[in-house]
Amino acid sequence: MKLNICHLYPDLLDLYGDRGNILTLAARCRWRGIDTVIQRASLGDKLDFPQMDILFIGGGSDREQSLLVQDLMLRKDDLQAAIGDGLVVLTICGGYQLLGLYYQTAEGKKIPGLGILDLWTIAGSQRMIGNVVVELNDRLTPGPGTSAGSGNQGIPAATLVGFENHSGKTYLGSNLLPLGKVLAGYGNNGEDGTEGVCLGNVFGTYLHGPLLPKNPAFADLLLRKALARRGFTAEMEPLDDRIEILAHQAMLRKLLKKI
Amino acid sequence: MRTWNFWPALWAGKITGIVLQLLGRKGTTLPGYVANRLDPGLLGQLAGSYESLIIVTGTNGKTTTANLLAAVLTAAGKQFAFNRAGANLVTGISGALLQNYNWIGRPKAQLALLEVDEATVPKFCAQAVPDIAVVTNFFRDQLDRYGELDTTIRLVKDALPEQTLLILNADDPLVAYLGAERTHVCYYGIVRTPESQRESRETREAKFCPRCGHTLSYELFHYGQLGIYFCSNCDFRRPFPAVQADQVRQEGDGLKFKAGSGSYVTALQGYYNLYNLLAAITVARHLNIPESTIEKGLQEFIPQAGRMERFGSPQGEVTLTLVKNPTGFNQVIRAVLAGSRQLRLLIAINDLAADGRDISWLWDVDFEYLGNRDKLVSQVVCSGLRAEEMALRLKYAGLTVDKLIIEHSLDKALEILLSQRKSGEDIFVLPTYTNLFPLRKLLQSRLKAGQGFVARNKAVAEK
Repeated sequence: MKLNICHLYPDLLDLYGDRGNILTLAARCRWRGIDTVIQRASLGDKLDFPQMDILFIGGGSDREQSLLVQDLMLRKDDLQAAIGDGLVVLTICGGYQLLGLYYQTAEGKKIPGLGILDLWTIAGSQRMIGNVVVELNDRLTPGPGTSAGSGNQGIPAATLVGFENHSGKTYLGSNLLPLGKVLAGYGNNGEDGTEGVCLGNVFGTYLHGPLLPKNPAFADLLLRKALARRGFTAEMEPLDDRIEILAHQAMLRKLLKKI
Repeated sequence: MRTWNFWPALWAGKITGIVLQLLGRKGTTLPGYVANRLDPGLLGQLAGSYESLIIVTGTNGKTTTANLLAAVLTAAGKQFAFNRAGANLVTGISGALLQNYNWIGRPKAQLALLEVDEATVPKFCAQAVPDIAVVTNFFRDQLDRYGELDTTIRLVKDALPEQTLLILNADDPLVAYLGAERTHVCYYGIVRTPESQRESRETREAKFCPRCGHTLSYELFHYGQLGIYFCSNCDFRRPFPAVQADQVRQEGDGLKFKAGSGSYVTALQGYYNLYNLLAAITVARHLNIPESTIEKGLQEFIPQAGRMERFGSPQGEVTLTLVKNPTGFNQVIRAVLAGSRQLRLLIAINDLAADGRDISWLWDVDFEYLGNRDKLVSQVVCSGLRAEEMALRLKYAGLTVDKLIIEHSLDKALEILLSQRKSGEDIFVLPTYTNLFPLRKLLQSRLKAGQGFVARNKAVAEK
């Protein structure tokens, strides 16, 4: 078994410890005896979408983000085809916004995005900064009878914890489901209580940087989807997630004042 | 000209300071706060009266640079106003200056040396024009407080007045760019250190030319984005430094190097401190302080609270050093491993406002460098409000999970660290800002502080 993981623009979009997500995917594969090949790809690099299993795009500063939009536009058709074919995609912050229809600046100018998902972002006047807890959308939590949550010692399969820092307010089209509901923090826009997006195997979120380390169930969900797409449907071996769960629960305790 | 509200502000600030002193408390922030409430323009009035106003700003090394310069000024017999405690926001700076003013509104010294937080530079320069401004470096630090690094740099660049002499780190492209299109500027830099490399794998800022946006090329990396760089697309390149360190060596417990005609021996560790030393030397030369006095001042300087500060104990030393961002932490990890001895660590991570509430940066620190040397690590006690996240980071960096201990209480964490120590082990305590002083106090009460360090620290503090 081998998974090809592509970290797109790690040199440009690396503002908040995004590499923690790649470290996590690779380590959780390694601990289960699954090989990974990590490709760090930047402007102009050749990408082999059909071979790719997981694509990750992080967040960056405004200046560096504008540098890569053009490059990404050239790859739009290939990316769209791969997504249609079930490619697992995780996008965070700037990468999330880029999946949408457009980003509207404070001056009212609309900068087109990839248009892969029916969502759009409008520049806000206030930065939304702080810790976040998200209650995952039902469809993403493991149903009864599965051990899929790796939450064998705890509950964390049902929540995501992380940190957000954005001024753009993102709105989802009516046909799109959010990743979950905000229990603490701002989420997509600070207005409608939604956070992130999920459609098939494509995910977007404002929970930046090291999202996957302390949300091991979500990390495993991505791996499981990627493996299933290649025909490996056997249960993944559970891991010793004691520290992961402690880190997750510490955030729940801090933000929800319970548990 | 003094405005009418200057006087009540001055007196109220000074009285607050005296009351605090009578209560046995130190601090310049509260007097500064009180005085600023009465006169919002107070800082300008206070700072504007000095013949020579020097500010030090940047992400890392402000406090050390300012303290080094203070040691040189003291060696030269100069009187000066100084915000020693690292109180580097408007209120702290005003408070420090108030202490240097007498009741009839005159400063007691002709020179003021101020550490200024980079986000405070615009406010500061709107009120006072510095004669000299030192900029050490720009790194990602507490992004949740400042927004993004680009914004900070632009604000600092726009705020520094044309007539101010800029003393800049030539090796940091983000800092060197502040000097572009200015004539009143002077640079310092490093030729190479024993750890300089042709390639870098560290997460770093400034991958692109600040002028044209093209990818920057490097002949040599010292650390982070600091090194010998040039743009192959436009004429932006590392400016030639007027003060440049060469023949750099880490010997025993300190750094040795040459810069122009001067040879320096210091008790500071870590190549990042070389920049702080060079900045202090450059300013001192501009103030016409004799070379022998500069050498003496730097040689006698002892690192201050929580900057590789050593505490002696019967079982051996404990070294305390602040960690606050990826580049700083990377340098500390290299310094910690430099001895190639068995290690026992306490890392205390908090996420309060002064630490930076976003601890994502822990994942940008090269803990893999430590993980790859797992055998040298006996134990890491993870403490502070975010102890779990620290342990998690180390697990993914490749440290054996059994060596990781999570203990929120600083006192208990220190107890575990010290009680399990074995002979021949080096012990380091690495806190973020709000854990620094509590841990320092705990260490002081537990350990007999190493003789030489206490005595020499006192000499500097009392000047």
